[in-house]
Amino acid sequence: MNAMNHTTTAYNFGFLDEYAKKEVRRAILKAIAIPGYQVPYASREMPMGRGFGTGGLQLTLSLIGPDEVVKIIDQGSDDSVNAVNLRQFIEMTCPGISTTTRTTECTLIQSRHRIPERPLTATQIIILQVPYPDPLVVVEPSEDKRKTMHGEADYSRLLVKLYEDIVKFDEITISHRYPTRINGHYVIDPSPIPRWDVPKLHDSAALILFGAGREKKIYAVPPHTKAEPLAFSDVPFRVEDFRDAAGQRRACARCGSKDSFLDEFVSDSGSKTYQCSDSDWCDGQLLRAAQAQGEPA
Amino acid sequence: MKTESIWQADVQQRVFRELAEAFSRPGEVRDLTNCIDGATAQRAVLITLMDGETTLADPHGQIAASDWPVLQGKRDVPETARYIAADGRRAPDFQPALGSLESPEFGATLLIEIDAVGDGPLSLELAGPGISGRGELRLEGLHSDWLERRTDWIAGFPLGVDILLSDAIRIVALPRTTRVVISVGGRLI
Repeated sequence: MNAMNHTTTAYNFGFLDEYAKKEVRRAILKAIAIPGYQVPYASREMPMGRGFGTGGLQLTLSLIGPDEVVKIIDQGSDDSVNAVNLRQFIEMTCPGISTTTRTTECTLIQSRHRIPERPLTATQIIILQVPYPDPLVVVEPSEDKRKTMHGEADYSRLLVKLYEDIVKFDEITISHRYPTRINGHYVIDPSPIPRWDVPKLHDSAALILFGAGREKKIYAVPPHTKAEPLAFSDVPFRVEDFRDAAGQRRACARCGSKDSFLDEFVSDSGSKTYQCSDSDWCDGQLLRAAQAQGEPA
Repeated sequence: MKTESIWQADVQQRVFRELAEAFSRPGEVRDLTNCIDGATAQRAVLITLMDGETTLADPHGQIAASDWPVLQGKRDVPETARYIAADGRRAPDFQPALGSLESPEFGATLLIEIDAVGDGPLSLELAGPGISGRGELRLEGLHSDWLERRTDWIAGFPLGVDILLSDAIRIVALPRTTRVVISVGGRLI
């Protein structure tokens, strides 16, 4: 059904009641003031299962105003199920707002597992959905102890874990959720973004917010803040390598882009093709190519 | 009786976005004229953030008696309150909560009203998260003890206080991560 038929519902604008929004807003301000610190909040029940972006959604609904232009993406795509559902829910409960797929047009982005390829601007805010907010959970099961370790910026056991990776595999094998130190103190789980996106956290023009609904945590990387992926001086941090066996950088099979994060598709016959993960970026490259072709020689 | 627009949810949403911008970009002055409809900036911020779940101290009598019931915030002493409304023209005469190593968010938010934000004789140089390179901020009417006390309060990151300065219509934030140098005389604060 078309969600826009429901604009006369009795929902409060933004679904959440004003008290819930105030609580989230106070947590957001503290999260910005203490970069990388996971501020606890009373995550509300949302009309969808926890784990489907309820943390990000509560941030979006506490920030959103009637003149907002919202973009919702899931793994870089505006059209996957999670993104479409969240977008319809926001359209239904926030009458007057507009939605877009274009990174250049939006004021608010809610994203699952990607930061857009196109650099964000100071007039935009990106909200990342977070399944597991605490990077220390792999080395310490007690939250009380983890909170002390975070407070003291004691990440020695996490570094040992990375070192064990190097001993076993000659490199750090973390493909996503790469532990990243913010402003020289707190180490965050930057949500399951690929390593490719981690450098975008550093000195970002846009405010980056993280919402973990199930784990009831909100944290932030403010604009122009230092974000350093954990690494060793002799084993530096590296983003994904998209070179083929011949050493050539793979291009997107659809738009030909050679400077975007690529998804791998395996056909029934076993052959692999690569395509941009960020669908708006891919469309933009195609459009540019078409315009270039249309111009007289 | 006509209700002031600041009590409306959509107005509070706009004030909150200005607050989020202010804390994201310390030293950047935000003008609330279009949101607050005659209310002072400090009062608009209080109305935007307060409810019965949080605590508020008012050591300098900034809040009108008629506002207390509607703000709903629980009245507290400055030593333990999560939010403190203060008059910046007076010297600070309290020790705010700084939070703990485990829960630094219990460090107070100070809402300090002064004569002017964005211009004035006091010139500050700012650096830290949210500031690209170095920022500059001019103020008028902030008692000099505040910045000295702030230095003590924020000495042990992640503990500290987060400050929002306001005049009648403008706000500017100095979260605990912002390093401040007073430019006049070049004294390091």
